Amino acid sequence: MARRVDAVVIGGGPGGYVSAIRLGQLGKKTVLVEKQRLGGVCLNEGCIPSKALISAGRLARKIREAGEIGFESTGLKIDFQKTQAWKNRVVNRLRGGIKLLCEKNGVEVVYGEAELKAGNIVLVKNSGGAEELQADSTVIATGSGPIELKGFSFDGNLIVDSTAVLEQNNIPKRLLVIGGGITGLEVGCMYQNLGAQLTVVELMNQVLPGFDPEVADVVYKTLLKRGAKIYLGGEAVSPEASDGGVRVRFRSASGEVAEEFDRVLVAVGRKPNTNGLGLEDVGVKLDQKGFIKVDEQMRSTTSGIYAIGDVVGPPFLAHKASREGIVAAEVIGGMSTAFDNRAMPSAVFTDPEVATVGLTEEEAKRTLGGCVVERFPFQASGRALTERETNGFVKIVADVQRKRLLGVHIVGPDASDIISEAALAIEMGASVEDLALTIHPHPTLPEALMEAAEAIIGAPIHVLTK
Amino acid sequence: MVFEFKLPDVGEGVAEGEIRRWFVKVGDQVSENQPLVEVMTDKVTVEISSPRSGTVLDVLAKEGEIVKVGSVIITIGEKGEQAAQRSQPTTKPSELSTVPQPAPIAPKTPSVLAAPATRRLAREMSVDITQVRGTGEDGRITEEDVRRHVSAGTVTAAAAARAEVGEERVPLRGVRRRMAESMAMSSKMTAQFTLVEEVDVTNLVAARETLKPAAEKKGTKLTYIPFIIKAVVQGLKEYPYLNASLDDDKQEVVLKKRYNIGVAVDTGEGLVVPVVKDADRKGLLDLAKEVEELAHKARESRLGLDDIKGGTFSITSLGALGGLLATPIIHHPEVAILGIHRIDKRPVVKDGQIVVRDVAHISLSFDHRIVDGATAGRFTGRIKDLLEEPGQLISELV
Repeated sequence: MARRVDAVVIGGGPGGYVSAIRLGQLGKKTVLVEKQRLGGVCLNEGCIPSKALISAGRLARKIREAGEIGFESTGLKIDFQKTQAWKNRVVNRLRGGIKLLCEKNGVEVVYGEAELKAGNIVLVKNSGGAEELQADSTVIATGSGPIELKGFSFDGNLIVDSTAVLEQNNIPKRLLVIGGGITGLEVGCMYQNLGAQLTVVELMNQVLPGFDPEVADVVYKTLLKRGAKIYLGGEAVSPEASDGGVRVRFRSASGEVAEEFDRVLVAVGRKPNTNGLGLEDVGVKLDQKGFIKVDEQMRSTTSGIYAIGDVVGPPFLAHKASREGIVAAEVIGGMSTAFDNRAMPSAVFTDPEVATVGLTEEEAKRTLGGCVVERFPFQASGRALTERETNGFVKIVADVQRKRLLGVHIVGPDASDIISEAALAIEMGASVEDLALTIHPHPTLPEALMEAAEAIIGAPIHVLTK
Repeated sequence: MVFEFKLPDVGEGVAEGEIRRWFVKVGDQVSENQPLVEVMTDKVTVEISSPRSGTVLDVLAKEGEIVKVGSVIITIGEKGEQAAQRSQPTTKPSELSTVPQPAPIAPKTPSVLAAPATRRLAREMSVDITQVRGTGEDGRITEEDVRRHVSAGTVTAAAAARAEVGEERVPLRGVRRRMAESMAMSSKMTAQFTLVEEVDVTNLVAARETLKPAAEKKGTKLTYIPFIIKAVVQGLKEYPYLNASLDDDKQEVVLKKRYNIGVAVDTGEGLVVPVVKDADRKGLLDLAKEVEELAHKARESRLGLDDIKGGTFSITSLGALGGLLATPIIHHPEVAILGIHRIDKRPVVKDGQIVVRDVAHISLSFDHRIVDGATAGRFTGRIKDLLEEPGQLISELV
């Protein structure tokens, strides 16, 4: 006999646990089914652990570069096992926080693998046996996993995915990153800062494909300057074991090359986790790319079944999943919420950071037939100078007639923090004038956003106009 | 080449229409002038034809949806163009796995300017925010605009409304919605009062019986309406302030020189008021025929915009269902309306004797901003006289 509950959420990542907590707040008797660890990829294998190591990497670089201000630090020694232990403490502490939040909001966490059955049944299997839950509403939040590249089987040591690459106890001397997108470059930058010799192979002709090319170019040139080798329009062909590690052949514009590495990260994309859920049996339909089809209230094609997060399609962002999780929960709770957000900010924790929201210049030209664009370089920012982080700029894209803010693209210090203001502005339908007329505290990095806005309305103070 | 067909302005002052029925679907071949869609606007239903030949690529408005004039409702491509081509992805699935990372999501181009909290409020109040008129800069929609939209009774999106247990929610659409709007407007805009009079219609009943065969020969069923129209026209000629409207902006009374008499018709979906134009120039039997035709069209939702425009005075016949008396609501911007009630045999004092006569009540509502009580009383008295002695009305038979 199935146990009756109001709602079951499958997957305890940043989409699922947020959805479950909201359901609990709305008075729904909710069970959160988690296969492995609360927090999902984001907390355990992605955002959080990578940010910890990225922060460590940046500190190492800053220490190395501190000679100019009179700080001598020859022979920086990194005990990477201690770094990892610290990272794990951060992750564990946050995971404990989620567990507590679930408990306090009346969410029951059940560990196991879930499978959907006809009649609103969710079958949960674990080592202890199986349990049937009957729920009026089910939220699928199973996320996504890394795609394996043909010929490059993950072995957890030499050839690794984005999860395993963060769990190593040593810093590779020679790291190859296949895929110059968000994950590849974040991890690549991090290990480069920690002392690795970095090589990147990217299929497209720019790193961070899809991002503003000027922004991507700053990251590209910075990595090169720090000694990385980057093969654009390149493709890894095959790995073979060698004495010192793994020898990888790849094609690039300059012909076929073979080099030896201590570790290879394959970061060529993610695929939705839909296998084994029994979606077909309950009539949940997928789109052509294999993501679960949902409407703006996160309803799947089967009544009572909702889906959120990576499993419904890109962009693969924790904050997108969280918002969708809240939408699904509120819809289940009888509210009229819908996912109608206009601004989806995205942050890339490379060094320098990249953050973006809204239309790129190219998208604005293509969809609206034109736009106005202005930039403000961090070299002209007093705060950036004092922080010794002058690499990069803020770029604003606005509509021609009303100067409404369409997009903001930042490469440089604290880009990931500056972008939130731009997201709010786009969500509110603000014009660049609104940004320019808002007082920004001095001296701070977000002043760069205000200055770029002033440039669009023709009144920049801290740059000379021609 | 994709042709985007926008909902045309099908009549003066029409801002939106309800999609009643599509005659075509995605993938259909259409030829020029082939009917595409039935649209209900301001009390009338019109068929809109295709301005060109081609293939239907996409139907953008659903049946039952309220669409603003000027918005694209259907796209038509070249003949033979495949509708399906558009929905195919530009990248093949096999290429996808090698696309390294998703590009940042592009925001939907803001079609309406409204803050997230305002958009949420609209959803909570079941308001389609695209239908709200923004009063802010550049048409920005404020929370106040959303609330005003609701209190103005213009909420059309029934989509998100949730019925409480024990109730059913029926979307207010088409004729019913127009009725709601115009009745509320009339009550709000005018100062109405009602006069009721008893009319001895014995002679009228006899006259109708006499004339029935003549009407039948012409293929028309003779009701009392044509007689009433005749009486009203005569009364209006004598009291021109009743065939009038008030121009609020200019503070002028507009005296109408045409006698266009609206006749309220119950369509089953709500009330419509088709208009008999130039009733003063038409004979009884012609009026009978015209009223019959208009009523028929109204019930089949075939009235054109011309059929309902330009009225100067309205008549509502409540007939057998009408009770003893009523307080009819004026068909704004007209200034008076006449309601007629059922005919009963009643005792009447005539020449000092109690006799049994055919008696009916008439209820007339007036806009007191223009019509004073004395004028209303005289007009009502005149109508009573004309209906009691219908000889004059009948003399203009043809």
